[in-house]
Parts: sequence; C-alpha cells; structure tokens
Amino acid sequence: MRADLIDIRVEDHGDDVEISLSGSLGVFQFPAVCEKIEMLTSGPGVFFFLNLQRAHFKAKEYLDFFLEVLDRVRSQNSTLVLIFSNEEQKNYFARYRNIFEIYESREAYKNSGMAKQLNQIGIHYGKKTGLRVTPGVAIAGAVFIIGWAITLFLIIAAQGRDIADKQAQIIALQSQKDRYVREIDKLESSIGPLRKLGVVQDTSVLSSFGVIQDWVSYLEYLENTRREE
Amino acid sequence: MKPTISFVLQLSPATAYENLGDVARNLLDGLDVLLNSGLVKCSIFMDGPTIEMLRKKAKPLTFGKIKNGIREGILEFLGGGFYDPMLPLFPESVQSQQINNHRNLLNKCFDVEPQGYFNSSLVWEMGMTAVLERSGFDYALVSEAAIQDALGRSTPVSGWFTIEDKGAFMRLVPVADALSAAIENDSLDWRNIAAPYCRGGKSAVVVLNVPPQAAEIVGFFERLVDFVETNEIQTWPVGYAVNQLNSEGSLSYLISAGRKLGLPPTARSCRDMLIRRPEINLLQKSFLSLFRRAEDALEPKKFEAFCEKLLPSMSPMFFRDLCNEEGMQSLNVRQWGYRYLISAARELDDITDFSGLRMEVCDYLRLGRKLVSVENREFSGLLDYYAGGVLRSYCSKSSSVSLLNSWRDDGEPSVAFLDCLLPNMDLSPTKIELVLGGRECMLADPYDYQIYRADSGSEVRLLEEQGFTLGDKRGVFHVEKNFGFQTDSSEVKVTYNIGNSTYLESRCFFGTLFELGILGNSDGSGIFVDGKPVKWDKKTPFVYPEATTLDIRDYALNCVFHLKFKDPAYLFVGAVFGATASAAPEVFQGICVYPFWRTDLNVMTERSFAITMSVTKRGRS
Repeated sequence: MRADLIDIRVEDHGDDVEISLSGSLGVFQFPAVCEKIEMLTSGPGVFFFLNLQRAHFKAKEYLDFFLEVLDRVRSQNSTLVLIFSNEEQKNYFARYRNIFEIYESREAYKNSGMAKQLNQIGIHYGKKTGLRVTPGVAIAGAVFIIGWAITLFLIIAAQGRDIADKQAQIIALQSQKDRYVREIDKLESSIGPLRKLGVVQDTSVLSSFGVIQDWVSYLEYLENTRREE
Repeated sequence: MKPTISFVLQLSPATAYENLGDVARNLLDGLDVLLNSGLVKCSIFMDGPTIEMLRKKAKPLTFGKIKNGIREGILEFLGGGFYDPMLPLFPESVQSQQINNHRNLLNKCFDVEPQGYFNSSLVWEMGMTAVLERSGFDYALVSEAAIQDALGRSTPVSGWFTIEDKGAFMRLVPVADALSAAIENDSLDWRNIAAPYCRGGKSAVVVLNVPPQAAEIVGFFERLVDFVETNEIQTWPVGYAVNQLNSEGSLSYLISAGRKLGLPPTARSCRDMLIRRPEINLLQKSFLSLFRRAEDALEPKKFEAFCEKLLPSMSPMFFRDLCNEEGMQSLNVRQWGYRYLISAARELDDITDFSGLRMEVCDYLRLGRKLVSVENREFSGLLDYYAGGVLRSYCSKSSSVSLLNSWRDDGEPSVAFLDCLLPNMDLSPTKIELVLGGRECMLADPYDYQIYRADSGSEVRLLEEQGFTLGDKRGVFHVEKNFGFQTDSSEVKVTYNIGNSTYLESRCFFGTLFELGILGNSDGSGIFVDGKPVKWDKKTPFVYPEATTLDIRDYALNCVFHLKFKDPAYLFVGAVFGATASAAPEVFQGICVYPFWRTDLNVMTERSFAITMSVTKRGRS
C-alpha cells in the first residue's frame, strides 16, 4: 500500500510520539492512512500526538477511524491527543470534540493544568510499571502515606524540642560550673599570700576524701591520722 | 564619436578565494589606482564576505577615499545577495534576507543605498521583480541573450527595458555579452563590436571579471585605466546611464538561465540545474527541508536568526556544474556545501531541543515519489524505497560529513545499499568495476515499505520481488530488506533475506554497492580491513577476500566510515573517477565499496545477510 498523496512524519521521543499527517485526505487515501496510522500507533509510546494541522479531510470516514484509533490506544494504556488549531479541523471534529483530547500543540497539552499533569504522570507510571490503581485506592493510599509522613514529622519535631531543652540545661549547668570555678580561683588567689606565710593551712587537699579512691587508702589515712594524734 | 561604456566590475563569490585577505588588500590598491586616475567611472559588485574583508584590511582614510569617489560619481556600488545567490532557487524570505544583509553592509561601510541589482550568474525569473522592488532597487542587470530571446531578435541590445509582474515593476539593463567577451579577451575588433551597442548615444554595459588571483588584481585595474585612456572611451556608471537614457520599451516576460553555471545553451532556467544534477538537487532540497522545519518550529525572530546560518549554503558555487573548485564537480566544494547545512541542522536540533528519531515519508526531492527521511541527533539520511531500497543521502552530524557525495558523470546519484548480482564466474577487479560503474545487474525495482517502531529505534521493512538478468538467465528473487535505525546512534543495520522463488537454481555473487565521497584529500591510506591497513593507490581496484570489518578513515574530513558484516564477505574497493575540462576521466570523485557473497540459491531456498554501517568522528569508536 502506498500513501502517495499524503506526507507522514513520525517523531519518536521515547514516551512521546508525534505523528503528523499532511496533504489531502480523501477516500482514495483512506486505506493507506489507516494502515500507516495503525502501524505507527501499535509500537511503544505513552502519548500519541496526532498532528493534523496541515491535513485536509475530504471524506467523513476518517472520523470513525480516529475513534477506533482512540479506542485502540486507550486499550494499550496510552493516550491519544489530536493537535490542531485551525477552523477547518475544528469543524470536522466538532461532533466528537468532547471525546477527543484536542490541543493546539504538544506543549499546550503538557502545560494544561495540575490535574492533567498528575494524570499524565499517572499514565506514564502506569504504562512503565504495568500497575493500575483506581482513584479511591489511590486517594486512600495517598492519605495513608501523607498521614504517616505527618506523624513522622510530629515525632521528629517533638524529639527535636526535647533535645533543645536538654541542650539548654547543659549550657546552663556548664555556665554555672564555669562561674564556680572562677569564684574558687578568686578565693584561692585572695588567700594565696596568707598561705605563703603559713597562716592558713590548706585543707582543700588533706582533709578531703577526694584523693581517697579505695578502702586501702582510707584505712591508711585513718591509721596515719590516729598515729599523729 | 567616443563610445560610451558602463563597466561593471565583479568578483567571483568570496568563497572561491583561498586567501580572501590578500585579495582584499590588492583590491583596495586597485580601487586606489582607479580613483586616482579619475578617468574610469564604473560600477562594482562585491559580495558580503569580500566587503567585510575589505573593511578589515583597509588602511586609514581608504574608505573615506572610496566614499568620496562614490559621491563624485566615479564609483557606483551595486547591490545583490550577501552571498550572491541565484535567487529563484530559494524561498522569498531568504531572498530578501540576503539582499537586505548586503544592503545594510553597503550602507554601514560606504553610506550608500545601492540603486542597481547585480547577480554574478545573471539569472532572472519573473518572481524576482516583486522581491527586488520591495528591496528598493531601481534597476537590475540581466543577460543580453535573455532580452534578445524575449524580444525575438538577434541583433545587439542596449539601453534599458521595463518589466512588470503581479503589479511590481523593474527596469532591466542588458549586459553586452559579445562586447564584454571582446574587451576581456583584448580583441582588436572591440570598437566594431561596440558600435551597434552605442548607437544613438546609448551606453553599452560591459561586465569584467576581476581576477581571483591576488597578484593579478592591481595589474587588472591598471590595464583598465590604460584601456579607457588610450581608446578615449566615455565611461558612465550603470545607474547614471539608466537615469540619462530613455526606455527602449517594455518586455512581457523574461527568463534567463544565467551564465557560467555549466548549463548547456538550451537551458531556459537555472532550475534546469536541479533536474540535470541530482547532487545539486539534493543539496537544494536539504536546504529547503531545514528551512521548512525551522519555519514550522521557531518563532519569527528565532527563525530569522536561524536563517543566517543557512545563508552561506546559498552561494552560487554550490549550484554550478563546474570543476576546478568553482562548482559542485569538485569533491571539496560538495563537502563544503554540506558542512554549512549540517552545522545549521545541528543548530536547529539544539534550538528545538530535538532528541529521538524523526521519520518522514514525503516527496523530499520533489520528484513525484515518496522517500523516507530519517534523522536523529547523530545523522540524517534519505531512503529511496522506490529505486531499490537505497540510501540516497547519509550525513553524519558529529563529523559534519556527507558520506554519499561522489559524483557520477552519467548524472546518476551516488547511493549506498544498492544491491547488485554478479554472474558466477571468475571476475577480475577491473571487470567488477566496469559492471558496477555501468550500474548493470542491479536489483533496483520499487519496494513496498512498512515502518515498525521499537523501544530503541525504528525499522523500515522493504519487501518485494526483484527481477534480475544474468547473461541469458532471468529470474526473480523475493527480497526482504530491513533498515534498522536507532534513536541515539549513527548506526544503520541492514538485514537481507533473499529467497529464490523460482524453479531455477541461481548461483551468483550477491552484494551491495556504496559510493562514498571521501578520501578526496588522501594519498590512499586510511583503509583498514579487519583492523589491518591496506595500501591503495586510489586508482587500481582490488578485491579483499574474507573481510569481516572495513574502516575507512578520512583524516582530512575527520571521520571514520565503518562497515561490519555478519558473515565474512569478499570486498571490492575501487575509485569513482570524473571527467576534467579536457574530458579525461581522471578526477578522483569518491570511493566505491562493494561487499559481496557467493550465493548458491537453490530452488525455494533462502539466504540472509547483515551489514552494519556507521560513521563516527576520528578517534571515537
């Protein structure tokens, strides 16, 4: 079959496939166009953009054919988008404008709202992974995941607060300790000259139990003090 | 009575010069001679790159002197295209862009608005009238032969005529062809030839070519001044002559095939070139394809900026059937033309952020039948399924090389994957060369095509029965030929399934022909079979037995052509020669590669072959 009066262009961008038809599409070209479009849409691809901007339809048969293509593409879990902006095509597709997705360009489709983009992502991953979920399950799953994430966040936030309190206490105690050390140093320095004269006996080392680490030392200490007495 | 002559000095398009800087320096000296004498009042045409080079090389006050000469009416600068293209071959928007770029440059350098339009090829078609009027030209120079043809007379024509097309109007000034030739060749009879042109005080327009060799330019200007002085000739710039003289009448229709294009005298239009030479047609259609794609994809401002990249490939050099680096018969000129187009294609890919694989089934060459155009970021190609499933073009984007760029004197295009059967007999390499050169025993019947898309690329399946004649024997093969293209590589994998669907045993050599326009600037080295270098004298053909891979490394073009065979093949390598001006076929136009296999196709049996072809940059595998 040779489609001699029509030009066909295929741009394969991985998931996006743009098929452009141009020329006069009459009854004689119908079988050739059907063959080529079916052949091209049966391969891989998530979004099939059918650019008809430069096509001139001279027969009604193409409308039913495009409906069939739409059905087939949907059955492959893909999306069919018609691309055109001229009045001629709008009139031709007027009857089915609610069935077909019609946009002015590929970019216009890609930028056509949040819900659409989510839908595109859904179709993309559905096609890639082979998994399909109903919107109810998807929403329940999303609520569960979001709830789980919020709980996790609250726990982390609470723990964070606790850690912050503890840190504040540590800092306060640290500063208190520093203050005491400074005061002790000050006191020591004030009694320093007296100690040199032998007026004051340094009890901070001798009389404290601080140096005694075990029972043997303690008993030695007791024995020594008693012997002195 | 003194004859009045309007001299028009023209330079070959800038791209013809090897050293434009030297040419510009000598040209400035020549103009200085002309202005100092003050005797020769003439018009001059230079294309954009030459004027830009003049500006670079000019000494202080030189341009001031030229401007002064223009004000005093000694010198008139003619307008035209920036790269001096043959306008009818291109879309109107780029025609205007060429003209406006040249006009702006003249305005910037010499403060002058050109009044007259000149094209060194002197082509004319009616569609140019509106474009030139819109661009603000008052008159255009055309060839005398075209006006004689339009008037139906054979006597010399001078003065100026008017022409109208779709409401647009233009004055046409014929160039006195016979007188130009006489003066250029120093004919002593020039005064007799000039007499009928100058009758009634009319001025004869004489176009003289400024020599392209830098050393001869100043001498040319001195000779011109001397000629005018000695012969007491009155000289007028063309613009002055048009303003002084009355119209000679109106023309209803004018078409001119131009001059110095390599067209036969019977040619009516420069478009004849596209019909005669498939290489020139392919280059022009590649230009148009890029132009249309950019027009569809880009906003007006970006589109105009992109077209600037396309303008150099419109140079008349790429549309002439001339040899000696003046036209497309030269391998270097062909590669040069494609380099401009391939770099523009790369730029368009970047602007449109193109990635993936584009396949288009359309009448690419405007021959009335479809071809499959294939393109990704690495290569672009053209598959002619109608003429035996051959590749008509293969351009590597990474190395900016057009691979199938050889030139055949018989006017056939150079191709790849043209299948050929050789009879089962002991054939010498010279005999094989003759058979392949004459395109005998080819399987070139139309195929039916189907396109299959896969994850990593696409496949074009060609399927048909191909008839063949081998001596007295005739038969039919059922051939399935699959071209596999990938999304991100320059590789083309071709697989064959050939079945003998007749009741005759067909022993023969089956192979496929490649005519490659590479190794033009090599001494024959660069051919590697199975990784081993094979020395070749670029003349004598040879056959290499049992080859699995072939690499042809063109160090000048910075590219490597790879072929890989699934089964070891006999490999024929020969040269494609073209005729020179002396008609001896001795100019190297490319290399012919023909891998082939012995094929014992018994009744109702099938054989398969596979060849992988790719082109990479040197150093990349």
